Amino acid sequence: MITLLDVVERALTGRSCYEREYNNVFSSKLKEVIKEYGIKYDPNTPIPSDNTLADDVFQAALDFYLDVGTYCLDTGRIIKFNESEIKDALKTSPSQLLFGEGMDAKIMVPRTPESKISPWCFLGAGGAPVSSEEVFLKLVEGYASIDIANSITTPALTSVRGMRIRPGSPLEILGTIRTIVLAREALRRAGRPGLPIMNALATATAAVSLNTALHPNYGLRETDGYLIAITAELKTSFDLLNKVCALQSLGYGGICSEYGPVYGGYCGGPEGTVIAAVAGHFMGVLVYRAGWHLIFPIHINYGCNSTPELLWVTSVYAQAISRNTHLLSLHLNYTAAGPCTEMCLYEIAAQRLAAIPSGASGIESLGAAKATHEDYTTPMEPRFAAEVAHAIVGMRRSDANEIVKKLLPKYTNKIANPPLGFKYQECYDTLTGKPSQRCLEIYSKVKKELEDIGLEFKL
Amino acid sequence: MSEFKKLSEAIIAGDREAAIKVANEIVDKGLDAVEAIEKGLMVGAKEVGEKFDRLEIFLPELMMSADAMQAALNVLLPQIPKGKIPRKGIVVCGTVKGDIHDIGKNVFAAMLRANGFEVYDLGIDVPASKFIEEAEKVGADIIALSALMTSTMGEQKDVIDYLKAMGKRDKFIVMVGGGPVTRQWAEEIGADGYGETASEGVKVALKLIEERRRVK
Repeated sequence: MITLLDVVERALTGRSCYEREYNNVFSSKLKEVIKEYGIKYDPNTPIPSDNTLADDVFQAALDFYLDVGTYCLDTGRIIKFNESEIKDALKTSPSQLLFGEGMDAKIMVPRTPESKISPWCFLGAGGAPVSSEEVFLKLVEGYASIDIANSITTPALTSVRGMRIRPGSPLEILGTIRTIVLAREALRRAGRPGLPIMNALATATAAVSLNTALHPNYGLRETDGYLIAITAELKTSFDLLNKVCALQSLGYGGICSEYGPVYGGYCGGPEGTVIAAVAGHFMGVLVYRAGWHLIFPIHINYGCNSTPELLWVTSVYAQAISRNTHLLSLHLNYTAAGPCTEMCLYEIAAQRLAAIPSGASGIESLGAAKATHEDYTTPMEPRFAAEVAHAIVGMRRSDANEIVKKLLPKYTNKIANPPLGFKYQECYDTLTGKPSQRCLEIYSKVKKELEDIGLEFKL
Repeated sequence: MSEFKKLSEAIIAGDREAAIKVANEIVDKGLDAVEAIEKGLMVGAKEVGEKFDRLEIFLPELMMSADAMQAALNVLLPQIPKGKIPRKGIVVCGTVKGDIHDIGKNVFAAMLRANGFEVYDLGIDVPASKFIEEAEKVGADIIALSALMTSTMGEQKDVIDYLKAMGKRDKFIVMVGGGPVTRQWAEEIGADGYGETASEGVKVALKLIEERRRVK
């Protein structure tokens, strides 16, 4: 087994290399394996049913990661693993994990393409910023009130007593503590105190913030999930490893490696992005000993992952991982459009159709309007995402492909200039927590359209 | 094919060696270096930028083109009297303190270089004072600040506040960008410019430089 000390040792003694050289090797090796394995994006098939393609992508990613390894930003060295270390880590990685407590405890399990197993629904804001603690509380209570939510992704507080949070500062530590205290309170208000928080914690950029907030007085639990970022592309740092160190020392099993390979960046096109996405899983199990994985390929210009190329990437990486490993791998979606718009719901449906029939273990939904605008997040969109995810359990990839092809013309020409939508306060009654008539009408209209093209909503 | 056309082709192909070779041929033949930059390098750079916008090429190719551009400039610039160098402007850029993401910033830097800017890239996790110190050292026109996380956007404001506190705000154009950064945020913190994408950022930089020169 590769321990954290092994990782640190390799970070200190691995081959030294400038970051620029690593980036160049990353790009050129990707091109090599794409050519060697004949990986080719097909714009006419956003959700392929080609098992050979999925398996070739998996093997290409293995060859690729063996060659390039992980770059440590602090030491300027490459952390590498051999093939048996990678394969052993994949074999010994957990095939199920328990999250949550009491009535809301649940086991996350892997799925395979076209699986009839219900997906894990990790719902909320995807770390989107909110303007106040009041909005934060209302939103988290709203997310927790979604009956099919298995876990919560909180928004990110951006200020403490009116002072904007700065990374690595006392403000960030205080903001992180407030985030967890408020989130637990919101879950209690929703009557679901045992629901796990699985993006612990969006506010904690620096290790010192997360590690401080781990004190049991604040309410983080062993049964919550802990996202540790893989810096694009396939890089880590001592600060990220410090989070891993604290969590492993406490024996917390909920470590997740989260990775957003950038389409158009060093990954190049869809083919390189999908290989990097699969390689990110290898890095996660080896460098972070992650028990679960969260992948969000992202468009370099548009900041979302609902474009046809990224639906293909989502589908193929999910197939590659679920056909060749038992890893627990969730997909996080970012939409270009904001809340309470038809376009946002079309994007969500397409993204879930790409992930679920392709074997993703579950979904994190969602970062609406790219999760960049304060308060542009509501409980309506994650609820819709979870309903779609449940509706398409057991769906054949070929059927999902046909439905997605009908959805794409409804929004792709607006991705560059999407509607921003509306703030939570404009979409919901902040006193009762109920959605406005306008939101309900849009939600019902798009659901009906989806039913007309083949979805059967079960929940 | 004219020498200038050959130069633009070398930039589009991201072929550093070819760019150097053609630039040397231009010098050897006594052709006008300023014209070579404007009719060769800039034409190639424009096409590269457009191809990247359409994602017909990706970041590695963009950076190769920027490298080729820089290599050709290294040959051509010494041929031009100092006052006549067609440089668009000097930019100091970096990712703000606490943030270690650099892909967006790298794209912006590469596109700036490809468009004739002299760029000093300070890398990631750059403190406010370092941006200003470096901008003064190199005589920058623009300080460009990248942030990829909502938690690090505040650092962009800190740089602007730091400039104000030092009484140096008017010395530099300040531009902001990055995943979570919006036009509204740029206005709120008093930035001079914002680009949602790298290519938009370059257009804004060119416009701001032009406006500044007109005022002067």
